[in-house]
Amino acid sequence: MVLILSDRLKVRAMVYVASEPIPRFWPMRTFIHHNPLYGLEDRPFTAAVAEGSRLFHARGYLDRGSYQDYRRAGKIDDVLIGRRIDAFLAGRTEGPAGLDLKAWLWQLMTATDRPRMIERGDFASGAGIRAALEGRTQPVPGDDLEGRLRALLEPRYGPTAPVYRQVDALFGTTIGATVDDLVTKSCLDFFDEGQSAWQAPGREAGFFQAWKGLARRNVRFLLRGLHLRQVFSEEDTAEGMVAYILRRLEVPEAAWQDYITHELTRMHGWAGFIRYRMGAKHYYWAQRYPADLVDFLAVRMVLGFALLQEGRRRHGTPASSAGVAGLLRTAPVQAYLRHELYGGTILPAWAHKVDDALARARPSALAGLAAAYVQAKADWENQRTAQALRGLARTVGADAEAGLAGLAPGQIDVLVGLLRDWEEGEGPVWLEAMESHYIGELAARIRPPAEAEPPATRRPFAQALFCIDVRSERMRRHLESLGDYQTFGIAGFFGVPLGYLEYGKGSEAHLCPAVQTPKNLVLEIPAGLEFEEEPLFTALEHVLHELKASVLSPFVAVEAVGLLFSLGLVGRTLAPLGYHRFRSRMRTGKPITRLLLDKLSIEQADSIMRAVQRAMIVRALARELSIPRDQVTDDDVRNLREVALGNEAGPSRLAQRLGMSQAAEHDFLEKLRSVYRIDRAVTSLQMGRLGRIGFSVEEQVRYVTQALLSIGLDRNFSRFVLLIGHMSHSENNPYESALDCGACGGGKGLPNARALAAMANKPEIRRRLRERGIVIPEDTWFVPAIHNTTTDVIELHDLDMLPARHLLYLERLRSGLAAAGRCCAAERMPLLDLPARLAAEPFAAAALAQRQAHDWSQVRPEWGLARNVYAIVGRRVLTEGVDLEARAFLQSYDYRLDPKGRLLENILTGPLVVGEWINLEHYFSVVDTESFGSGSKVYHNVAGRFAVMTGNQSDLRTGLPSQTVVKDGRPYHEPVRLIAMVEAPLEFARRTVARLAKVQALISGGWVRLVVLDPEDDYRMHVLEDGGFHVHPRSGRAAHSAPDNPVLEASPCNR
Amino acid sequence: MDRALFALAAVFVPIFPLSWVFNRTAALLPAGAQALVVLIVPQIGITLLAATFHGAPPPLSLRPWIMGLATASALLYALRALSARELSIWTRLMLCSGLAVVWLAWAAGSPGPVLRLMALGWGLPAAVALFLAGALTRRAGGAYIGLQGGLIAVMPRMTAGLVLAVLALTVTPVFPAFFMLWRGLESVPLAWLPFWLPLIFLWGWAAGRLFQDLLFGDYHGEPMADIGALSVALISVAFLVSLAVSLAGSGGASWY
Repeated sequence: MVLILSDRLKVRAMVYVASEPIPRFWPMRTFIHHNPLYGLEDRPFTAAVAEGSRLFHARGYLDRGSYQDYRRAGKIDDVLIGRRIDAFLAGRTEGPAGLDLKAWLWQLMTATDRPRMIERGDFASGAGIRAALEGRTQPVPGDDLEGRLRALLEPRYGPTAPVYRQVDALFGTTIGATVDDLVTKSCLDFFDEGQSAWQAPGREAGFFQAWKGLARRNVRFLLRGLHLRQVFSEEDTAEGMVAYILRRLEVPEAAWQDYITHELTRMHGWAGFIRYRMGAKHYYWAQRYPADLVDFLAVRMVLGFALLQEGRRRHGTPASSAGVAGLLRTAPVQAYLRHELYGGTILPAWAHKVDDALARARPSALAGLAAAYVQAKADWENQRTAQALRGLARTVGADAEAGLAGLAPGQIDVLVGLLRDWEEGEGPVWLEAMESHYIGELAARIRPPAEAEPPATRRPFAQALFCIDVRSERMRRHLESLGDYQTFGIAGFFGVPLGYLEYGKGSEAHLCPAVQTPKNLVLEIPAGLEFEEEPLFTALEHVLHELKASVLSPFVAVEAVGLLFSLGLVGRTLAPLGYHRFRSRMRTGKPITRLLLDKLSIEQADSIMRAVQRAMIVRALARELSIPRDQVTDDDVRNLREVALGNEAGPSRLAQRLGMSQAAEHDFLEKLRSVYRIDRAVTSLQMGRLGRIGFSVEEQVRYVTQALLSIGLDRNFSRFVLLIGHMSHSENNPYESALDCGACGGGKGLPNARALAAMANKPEIRRRLRERGIVIPEDTWFVPAIHNTTTDVIELHDLDMLPARHLLYLERLRSGLAAAGRCCAAERMPLLDLPARLAAEPFAAAALAQRQAHDWSQVRPEWGLARNVYAIVGRRVLTEGVDLEARAFLQSYDYRLDPKGRLLENILTGPLVVGEWINLEHYFSVVDTESFGSGSKVYHNVAGRFAVMTGNQSDLRTGLPSQTVVKDGRPYHEPVRLIAMVEAPLEFARRTVARLAKVQALISGGWVRLVVLDPEDDYRMHVLEDGGFHVHPRSGRAAHSAPDNPVLEASPCNR
Repeated sequence: MDRALFALAAVFVPIFPLSWVFNRTAALLPAGAQALVVLIVPQIGITLLAATFHGAPPPLSLRPWIMGLATASALLYALRALSARELSIWTRLMLCSGLAVVWLAWAAGSPGPVLRLMALGWGLPAAVALFLAGALTRRAGGAYIGLQGGLIAVMPRMTAGLVLAVLALTVTPVFPAFFMLWRGLESVPLAWLPFWLPLIFLWGWAAGRLFQDLLFGDYHGEPMADIGALSVALISVAFLVSLAVSLAGSGGASWY
C-alpha cells in the first residue's frame, strides 16, 4: 500500500485537532487543579459538558436523587426551577391537551427518585404505550424486519468508532480492553521516571520507535499470535503507520478525524500526560525521551489492528470497518441479536436463548427468534414507559391519571417526547437552582461598610498576607478575632512568578500559576560557611534506598537488613507522630539559606563563566593529561580557554612549553569543547541562562508595587507584614501536591514569599516605592512565613535577618499565630470525622492534626479545597467577622486604587482563573468520581513516579480521588460553579471584563458565575444571568444589615 | 441388573455422559424444585450405587476406569462452567463437576455415609445457588452473567448468599466440599493428581468470573428488591447444615 506525504501530514494535523479537548495532565509532583474540560472552554458550559460527556463517557451533573437531597436540605432555589419550567414550556409549540404540564415536570424533577424516568426505546410508540396503559400489547409490524433492524443499527455502527469497539459490541470479544492493557504496559515502560530498576532500552529514539524495537522481539505478542513484524515492515514513521492502518481498516477518509478523536480520548489520562510533555519544554524527561500523541496513537492502532487480524484468523470476526458494515448489511438479524446480547441491552429472560441460537447460527431459527424478541422488547419498553407515566400521574394527583387515560397515541408521543427532553436538560436547571441558593446566601452574609468609612487611626500589630486559598479564610478569621491583626488575600505566589532552584535539588520548579511561564530564576544557596559532611543517618538511608531499588540486592538484603525496615513499618503504623519526631532528630536540618535574587550584571555573569570554565580546564588537564595544578599558571589556563573558544589562535602557550604535538593538543582541545563544554555556543547558552537569574531593580519595584496595590495596602503599614505562603504535609500520599498552593503551580508558596519579602525589605526598593507614593515606614519588616494547612501551623522564616528591635515583639507574634492555628484545628478536626468534642479542645485538636499529617494510613489528611464555592474580590471589610466556612477564595482588592482597572485585570486573568480551575476540578471530580475523578485512593498505585493508576494497570487517574470530595458515599464537595463576586462599580467591572477575551468567554459561557457588588449603587448585587445583569432582591445596604444576617461574631475558640 | 443400576446411578449422581439427562431434566423444573432435586437425587443415586455389585465396592479391574471417567467428567464440566453465562446452568455444571468426587470415593470403597456427606457437600451450596438464581430470575427476568453487573449494590443480601454458595461449591476451606475433595483424593493414585489440581484452579477461575461479571462493577438494570428475611433464614439454615457437614467431613465426627 503506497502512502503519500499528504496522508502523513493529514494524520499529524488531525491528531492536533483531536487532542484539543483532552486536558493536559501535569505530573503528580506538581498536581495542577485544572478544568477537565479546559479544551472545550470556548463553548458554553452546558454545550461543553454535553460534548465532554460524549468524548470521555462521563457524567456532567449529579444524579437526580442527590439534587433532591440538596433540595430537602434547603439548598435549592425552587423559584428558579419554576422559572426554568415556564421557559421550557413556553418554547414548546405543542403539548397534550388537558394536562397541567408544569405540575408534571415539577413532580418529575422533585418527586421521582429514579435518575431517568423516560428512557429512549428502540420500539416504543404512542400506540404501544396506550395499549400498555390499557393492559394490552400492541403487535409490532412483522414486515421488513431486516430493513428495520438495519436502519436501527447502521447509525450506531458508523465508521467513526474504532473497529475493535464495534467488534467487541457485536461479538463479545475484549479487544478494546486488551489494547488498553497493552498500551498501558508500553506507556509504563517508556514514560518511567526512575521507578523501575531496569529501564526500557532505546527510549532516546522516541516512543513509537522505541516501542517498535521492543515489540519486534516481544515473546508475549508472538505467543498471542500478533504478527507485528509484518505491520512494521509497511511503514516506518508513526504518522505513516496511523495512515496505513486507517486505510487497511477501510475507514473512509471523511471519518478519520472522528476515528482519531475516539482513539485518543479512550485513555485520556495517558493522552493528557503526553500532551503535557509535548508542551513542557523545560521538562527533563520529555527532553530526554521525547514522545507525542502521534506516537501514542500509532502504538494503539498497531495493537488494535494486530488483535483484529488475530480475531479474524481465529474466530472469523470482521477486521475492518467495511467488514462490520457488511455484517450489518447482509445479516442484520444476527447483528441485532448480537448487539443486544453483547451490548448488555438484552432482556435477561432472553439472554440464554439468544446466546444459544447465535452459537448454533441457523439463519431461519435466528429470524424467528428475532421477530419474537423484537415483540417482547417492544412490549417491555411500552410497559416500562406506561408504568413511568402512570406513576408520575399519580404523584401529580388531581385529575392527572384521568387526563393520561384520555390521551390519544399521538398525544402520548408528544408527552413522552416532552418529558424526555426535559429530563435530558434537567442537570443544568438543578445546577443553576443550587447556585441561585448560594448567591442568596452570599447576599445574606456580606457586610457592606458604613456610608462614611472612618480613616484608620490605629496601626495594627501585624498585617498578614495570605493566599486566596479557601483554607486561608479560616486562619484569617481566627487570627483577626484574636487581636490586632489585619489580613489580606493575595494569590499565593504573591504576584512574583519565579523559576526556583532549591538547594540540593537538580531541577527547576515553576512557582506560579500553570498558565504562566516564569522568566526569572531564583537560586537558593546555603548561607553556612563551613563545609558539611553528609550525616551518617542520611548516608545510611541512601544505602538502604539503593539496596531496595537494585534488581538483585533485595534477594540478599532482605534477610540481612529486612528487620530494619520493619522498625519503620511498626513505628509509622503504631506511633506515627513519635516515629516522625525520632526520624527528625536523626536527620540534620536544612541549613540556613539565602535567595540569589538580584540580577547579575554582564560583567558578573562573565566573571562567573570564566571562573567555572577555568576550574574545568584545570580539572581536564589533571584528568586527561595528568598535568597537576602546580605545573600550570593562571596565564596558561586563560590562554587555553581563549584558544578553545576560538578567541586566540593555537598552539597554546602550555603546549609550546610542554612540547605537545599538534595532534595531541588538537585532541585535548576537542575534549575541552565536547566533554568539558568550553565551547563558544555553550558559553553563549550559559550566559543566557545566567541572565535568567534574579530580578532587576525595576522588576523588583514593579512586583512589590503591584502586590501591595492589588490588595489595597498602600498606607498604615504595621511593624510586621507577614507574607504567608502555604503548603501541606502528608505521608504516603501521591496527591500531596494537590493540597499545596495552586497559584504556585502545585508547589509550596514559601520561596515566593521569601523573594517578595527580601525585595520589600531592601532600602533601595523602598526608596523607589516612596517615589511612587507608597511610603513604607522604616520600622516595617516583611517576614516570610508558611502556613501548613494539614497541621494549621504557621512557621516564620528568615528570622535571622529580623532587625534586633523586632525581636522584642516576636514572642507575641508567634503566640498569636499558634493560637489561631489551634482554633483552626479545633474547627477543622470534627469535619474529618473526628470527635466533635475537639471543637472545644484546641490543644487536643492541634495535636491530632499533627498526627494526621504523619499518619501514612490516612487517606484524608485534610479536606483541602473541597466545598469551595465563592471567589470574593473586594475589601476585607465585606467579610470580616463572617464565618465563610473555608468556602471562599478571598482576594483583597480596592477598586479605588485602580482607576484604570489594570489591577482588576490581573486578578481576573490570574487568581480568578486559578480559582475557576480548582472549582471545576472539584466539580467534575464529584459529579463523576470515576471518569473525571480518579476513583477511590484505596486502589491507587503510583505509576512511573509521575501519576497514579487504579490497580496495577489502568489509564492514568487524572482527577481528584473520591476521598477528597465524597463523604459517607455522598458528595462532600457541593458541586456548583465558582460564584465570583467583585466589589466594584458595575460599569467599571463590565468594561474591565470586556477587555479580557478569555475571562469574558469564561463568564459569558457560564464557567464562572459573576456577581458584581456595586459600592456606588448602595451595595446592590448585580447577578449575571441569562445574558444580563439582574439586581438580587435581597441586596443593598438595608438588606445586608438585616438582623437575620447569619454572622458569627465569635470563633469556636472564643465561645 | 448391576449394569442397569450402575447406569441409573450415573444419571442420579451425574457423571458424563449420562449427566446430560440429569441436567436436561433439572433445567425443565422451576428453581425451587431444582434446589430440591440437587439435594435429593444424588442421595438416591448413592443408594443405587450401594446396591450395585451386591453392596461391595466395584471390582478392582473396573476401578481405574471409573476413576478415569470421574476425573474426565469433573474436568469437562469445570471447563464448561467457565463458558456458561446463565447462573442456573453454571451451578448445575459446577455441581456435576464436583459430584464426580463421589464416584472416586465409591470406586475406592468409601462407605455409604461418607458418600452421602460428600453429595451434601456440593448439593447444599448448589441448592442455595439455584434458589437464588430463581429469585434473581423472578426479579430481573433472568440470571445471566455479564448483563446487569453490580448486584452487590442493589441486592446485598442476595449477593452475600450467592458468594457463600459459590465459595462452598468451589471447594473453599471451611465449606464441606473442601474436606470432601481431599477425602476423595486420598483414594486417587498419586499419578492422577496433576489432573485434579488444575481442576481446583478451573473452579476458582469460574467463580472469579462469576463474581466479576455478576456481582461487582456498576449495576445497569432496573431497581430491584433484595431477598426477604425468610429467604435469608433458609439460606442460613443451609449454611449451618453445611458447617455441620464440614465438621463431620473434616474428621470431627467418627463416621468411618
